[in-house]
Amino acid sequence: MSAQIELSNIEKHYGAFHALKNVSLTIEKGSFVALVGPSGCGKSTLLRSIAGLETISGGTLKIAGAVMTGVPPRKRDVAMVFQSYALYPHMTVEENLTYSLRLHGVGKAEAKAKAAEVAATTGLSALLKRYPRELSGGQRQRVAMGRAIIRNPKAFLFDEPLSNLDAALRVHMRKEIRALHDRLGATSVYVTHDQIEAMTMADHVVVMRDGVIEQQGSPLELYDTPVSKFVAGFIGSPAMNFVPGTIAADGQSVRLELEGNPVLPLGRTMEVGRQVMVGLRPEHLVIAEGGDVALQLPVAVVESTGSMTYVATNTTPELTVVETRRTHLQAGNTIGITIDPGHIHMFDPTTGLAI
Amino acid sequence: MSRFFNSMRDGVGFDLILVGAAMLFLLALAGLPLVYNVLMSFQQVDMFTLGSLIRPFAGFTNYVAVVAQPEFWLVTKNTLIFVFASMAGQFVIGFALAIFFAQNFPGASTIRGLFLVSWVMPGLVVGALWSSILAGDFGVLNFLLRSVGLIEGTIFWKSDPNFALWAVVIANIWLGLAFNMLLLSVGLAAIPRDLYEAAELDGANAFQRFWTITLPMMRSTIGAVMSLGLIGTLQQFDLFPALTEGGPANTSTVAGYWAWQMSFQLYDFAKGATISVMMFVLVLFASVVYVRSTRHEVRG
Repeated sequence: MSAQIELSNIEKHYGAFHALKNVSLTIEKGSFVALVGPSGCGKSTLLRSIAGLETISGGTLKIAGAVMTGVPPRKRDVAMVFQSYALYPHMTVEENLTYSLRLHGVGKAEAKAKAAEVAATTGLSALLKRYPRELSGGQRQRVAMGRAIIRNPKAFLFDEPLSNLDAALRVHMRKEIRALHDRLGATSVYVTHDQIEAMTMADHVVVMRDGVIEQQGSPLELYDTPVSKFVAGFIGSPAMNFVPGTIAADGQSVRLELEGNPVLPLGRTMEVGRQVMVGLRPEHLVIAEGGDVALQLPVAVVESTGSMTYVATNTTPELTVVETRRTHLQAGNTIGITIDPGHIHMFDPTTGLAI
Repeated sequence: MSRFFNSMRDGVGFDLILVGAAMLFLLALAGLPLVYNVLMSFQQVDMFTLGSLIRPFAGFTNYVAVVAQPEFWLVTKNTLIFVFASMAGQFVIGFALAIFFAQNFPGASTIRGLFLVSWVMPGLVVGALWSSILAGDFGVLNFLLRSVGLIEGTIFWKSDPNFALWAVVIANIWLGLAFNMLLLSVGLAAIPRDLYEAAELDGANAFQRFWTITLPMMRSTIGAVMSLGLIGTLQQFDLFPALTEGGPANTSTVAGYWAWQMSFQLYDFAKGATISVMMFVLVLFASVVYVRSTRHEVRG
């Protein structure tokens, strides 16, 4: 019973603090939308507003076409998975799962059967009689998910559900949540500060900053064509390198403010003398074996993870280069870099917007 | 020898010193008087044997004599009424106030702090205060009740056999209210906010949230408040001399006050000790129930 969620011109004030500024967003029925941004950007406030745990100061919020103004959370038919899981500590796993059913007057036998069914899909069958304090972090996470699933709600709201898990389990649960979403076909809204979670799980990523939606789109749209320096720096890991520069006299290349003032061809024509911020993704800086190179950079630090090598350059600003081939680079070496002009991002240094 | 001092500093020896100090204190100031009291309740005690430890053994004679006292059942009934009415009043009003002040309105914590005034004041002062409020001819309570038309004549709260006990109950509720409220406030504050949010999303209305989240999560706090309330109420003494002195005709005498009267007004120390041993058994029973109920305490 999934539903579309429509937000139009949502405003939220906490006293003098303006938490959400004119936020409009349509979350399609059955889609998986990630709200991502640094802490304090309003993503959790937005999620809690959808749940009804926060009252919005302005705008309209519709779930399945119905305006939710003044509708209390218990009548909105949405389920939420909390960062802390918020399991009821005085209830067993089974009681936690069936709590909402019992409140809605579902019979004992039916509730028990449903709990067994949900427990089977979430791998909790052996744990039904346990109390939350007797479970591991991953198991608690599953109970929180099960408690949401059992209600078959209009939408699932996830508030940083994986941030209390260790790294390996987080990667595993990421896949499980996504698989569950695909199986149930429910509308899911997922809040996270981790752009990798957003990129890997969501169909549609919404990047927020200071209470406004900076950009929204598919994960690869955000990666390929960020609308601003903020989105460019936020999406992608390791983060994009930024170097200030000036468009050279031919209008077809940019002179970087880097040691030796190297010039990069752009493959397009721009206003001569314009100040720009050049964005270069670490994975787009290709270490060349001799031949024509765009940049000559001294190496400061070489870090190898086995599959990849991160090279930090001894320049101001420091650049990060990612190399997937084996290298024998050492600090003090000089590397030659080639760049596909199509991979050069340009931003206005004052507004931060893409050019 | 150095080994001995080492163990004193950071080994088992230090633990033993800490435990020993606490045990010594308990034994000297609580254990011995208790044992002496129990011993006395099985002895014949009169003014001439007051100073001696070994006195003629009396078996259960004192217990039989106490139960045979004409006022025994009246005092038992009064004690039960006093304890249950006081505890119920303190708990229900205290819980309501705790929930009220848990709502975040401006000044909530300040006003809650002011409620502690009643707890800080000595029982005798509280008794004197309520003595004035409850006074039959010039009391404020009678004036208020008359003004709103609830009563027509004057009620002599402290000297009417029908009201004397209730006069002490009212004062005692006021006295213990702040303590109850404070403990329950702490318990309420310890319940994570997101449990209420989860319950709200699961479809629970305010009343259901109170029954299924607040009360079960408060279980150990409520147990503590109840048992401390029971002990505090059974111990209540100051209000009686200040308000009714147990009268009229013992209609407001409770066990604790009766034990004091026996010992220090009638100098029948054996009966006084016997009554307090009976009370002790009751409190012990309540404490055991409390400890058992909090054994599987849950906190998220």
